[in-house]
Parts: sequence; structure tokens; C-alpha cells
Amino acid sequence: MGVATDTETVCHVPVAEGKSVQQTVDIVHKKLEQLGAVKHGSFCVDCETYHATGNASGQPSKLLYVMHNSETPLSCMALFEGGPCLIADANFDVLMVKLKSHFQNAKGHKVECRGSRYRYCDFLIKVGTVTMSSSARGISVEVEYCPCIVPGDCWNLMKEFMLSFLGTNVPELPSVFAAKPEGLFAPADCVDTMTQYLELFNKLRKLQISGSNVR
Amino acid sequence: MEAPPVTVMPVTGGTINMMEYLLQGSVLDQALESLLHRLRGLCDNMEPETFTDHELVYLLKGQQGNPFILRARRSLSHPNAPWHLRYLGQPEVGDKSRHALVRNCVDVAASHSLPEFLNEMGFRMDHEFVTNGHIFRKGGMKIVVSKLSRVLVPGNTENTERLSLSYLVELSVLAPAGQDTVSEDMRSFAEQLKPLVHLEKIDPSKQRH
Repeated sequence: MGVATDTETVCHVPVAEGKSVQQTVDIVHKKLEQLGAVKHGSFCVDCETYHATGNASGQPSKLLYVMHNSETPLSCMALFEGGPCLIADANFDVLMVKLKSHFQNAKGHKVECRGSRYRYCDFLIKVGTVTMSSSARGISVEVEYCPCIVPGDCWNLMKEFMLSFLGTNVPELPSVFAAKPEGLFAPADCVDTMTQYLELFNKLRKLQISGSNVR
Repeated sequence: MEAPPVTVMPVTGGTINMMEYLLQGSVLDQALESLLHRLRGLCDNMEPETFTDHELVYLLKGQQGNPFILRARRSLSHPNAPWHLRYLGQPEVGDKSRHALVRNCVDVAASHSLPEFLNEMGFRMDHEFVTNGHIFRKGGMKIVVSKLSRVLVPGNTENTERLSLSYLVELSVLAPAGQDTVSEDMRSFAEQLKPLVHLEKIDPSKQRH
């Protein structure tokens, strides 16, 4: 486990009017490069959804999400929405295969977010295309401000930075931070980041259901 | 395995199909020192390693069939170390010529939220115990000599009672499926421990009498 050293935010960028997902991603890339950000490899975040097959109590079961992040390649994160989360090693995926008679993988719900990483001074920016069932559903932008772990203290700075390449699409302070009494970000176990990705994935899934014209 | 609906395989890892080869035996408390002495001589030269672990056995009951069993273990001597979650499959109904018990095994290192998480998954704690003892290694072989204690008050690992007047001795190897030469090496090592301890292939499913 490392020492908490940074603050991250993940937000959803709407597809530009009359543009495709890829064209919008290219616009964001171009703006970052104009700022002086340097491309620094790629990243991938994915999420599998499982549901309990038969629970004795008869209550509707909560969904179990199993996520991976290329920033922490040896770890696997499992979480219940609003419930406890577990950080485990990659063998947790093998365990889920063993548990398949109790937890079924909702195949159609697999979400993946892939894209490029950029570095700009103390910021790390990841622009990703969110894919569900092989089609691009939206764009994510993750901004990490490395030197500070108190979101409240660096939020205005992050906001100003995001304004420079996202324009009006700058998000509000993520709820994961607002809900914490001590207000500290916990990057060592990447829980806060993954919770934000999960919120974004669920938001995009709902957009898709409500018949939005996202391409 | 069915291919995921996305363009590429996810960044998943993990080792599929690892098997545990196991031989078990026991020694009376008075024979412990001579066994440890023998093991120090036979095993790899390493710092003597002792441990005190707390193991919780969880069951997940489905609508039918046997419950799904998971073992969660934490070190009492290293409280900051990750928890160890273990799945053990049914022993293989292998050929008689194989010298060790062989069963599927999945080992997962997990964060301290494990008990809470297993509860949320629907698992319920069935029983718990404390185990303390010595670990030795010889190449890929692991030899554990341990004393099992019952937990008298649930969750309180300070208040325990020894289960018997003997020590459990286990010789195990983790290897990918099909590496049956492993059990040969184990047998020859077990031979060298006779007559201090007789390590045998014990099928736990035949012990429920």
C-alpha cells in the first residue's frame, strides 16, 4: 500500500453536437496537446456485473461489480453499490468463476473504458471511450492532481484546469468526496476512483436505456 | 470460456486451475521438538518461521446442493498483513497410484473488509479457530506443523482452548493441474520423516462419521 498523495476526479463529457464519440475524443486530445500536455501511454478500466442467482431471503439481491484498472494491474476491486468493497488480487476473478452457480455474470453488462493518458505538470489526465456491448457509449475524463489528498483544498485549482480544455463540461465536486467527513481521498486502494467510474458507467447505461441520441 | 462482448480481453489475471497436493499426519506434543529438529535438518536453510492465524470458515447456502465453502484467514502476529481467502475443491477421485490428495485451490489476498464483504455476498460464518505453529520449506514444498485451538467466545481470539494434545503436520505443494511428479517428491520427503511422523493421503470427505 502506498501513501495517499493525490486527488482524482472522473467525469462524463457529452458528445459534441453533430460529432461522433471518436471525433469528440480527438477534440479533447487536441485541446490537451495545445495546452502542452504530453501523451503518456494508455489506460483501461473495466467492470463486470454479477447478480446472485438464488437468495434464501427472497429479497431482491444487490448487484456485485468486479472492476479492474490498468493503473493497479495486480488488483481487482469488488463492490456492492453503496455497500462494502473489497480489494483483492487477480485470483478473485478465478474465484468468481468457481462461484458461478451463485453469482451469474450479466454478460451484456460488461463495460470497458479505454483511452490515452496525458501528463501536464502535476496533472494526469485520462480520456477514455466507454464501451458497452462493443459500441461506444460515451466519453470519460479522469483528472488526477498528484500533490494533494484533500479534494476540498485543490478542487478550485482542478476546476480551473478542467475549464481550460473541457469548457462548460466541468463537473461538480464528486459526491464520494462530499460524503466523507474527513474529506480525504484514498488513492492507495483506488476505491474513490473506481466508485466514480462505476457511477459514470451506470449513468451512461441509463442514458442508453432512456433512448438518448448518444452515438 | 465465452469471449467477452468487448473488443479485447480485460486486464484480468489470476492463475486458473492450481492444484493443492496434500499429505497429513500428526504428532503428540512430546514429539514436537524432535520433529522440528528433523525438519530443520531436512528443509531449506531459512530463518525459523512461526505463525499465529485466525481462520473463519464461511458457508454460502444455495437453493440446492452442497453449500459453497470459503476460508478466510488473518495473521494475528501481523495484523496489518492482507487477509487470505481460500477456496478448496473436492478431492480428485484420482488413480490409486497417486501418493497425495489432490484438490483444486484458489488463493486470494484480500483487504481487511473481507468479513463484511462476504456477509454482503450472503456468506455466513460457520466456525472459527486459531492455529499457531511453524513453517518450513523445501523447494516448492511447504511443511506446516500447527496446533489448533477452539475459539471459546465468538470473535475473541484471546480466549481459546487447545483442541487436542497433538500437532497437525501438513506437507503441501501448489502446482498446475497434471504435474503428478510432485506427489513422488512428496512421498520421498515423507519417507524421510518416518518414524517421527507418518504423513498420509487423507480424504476429508471420508471423515464425516
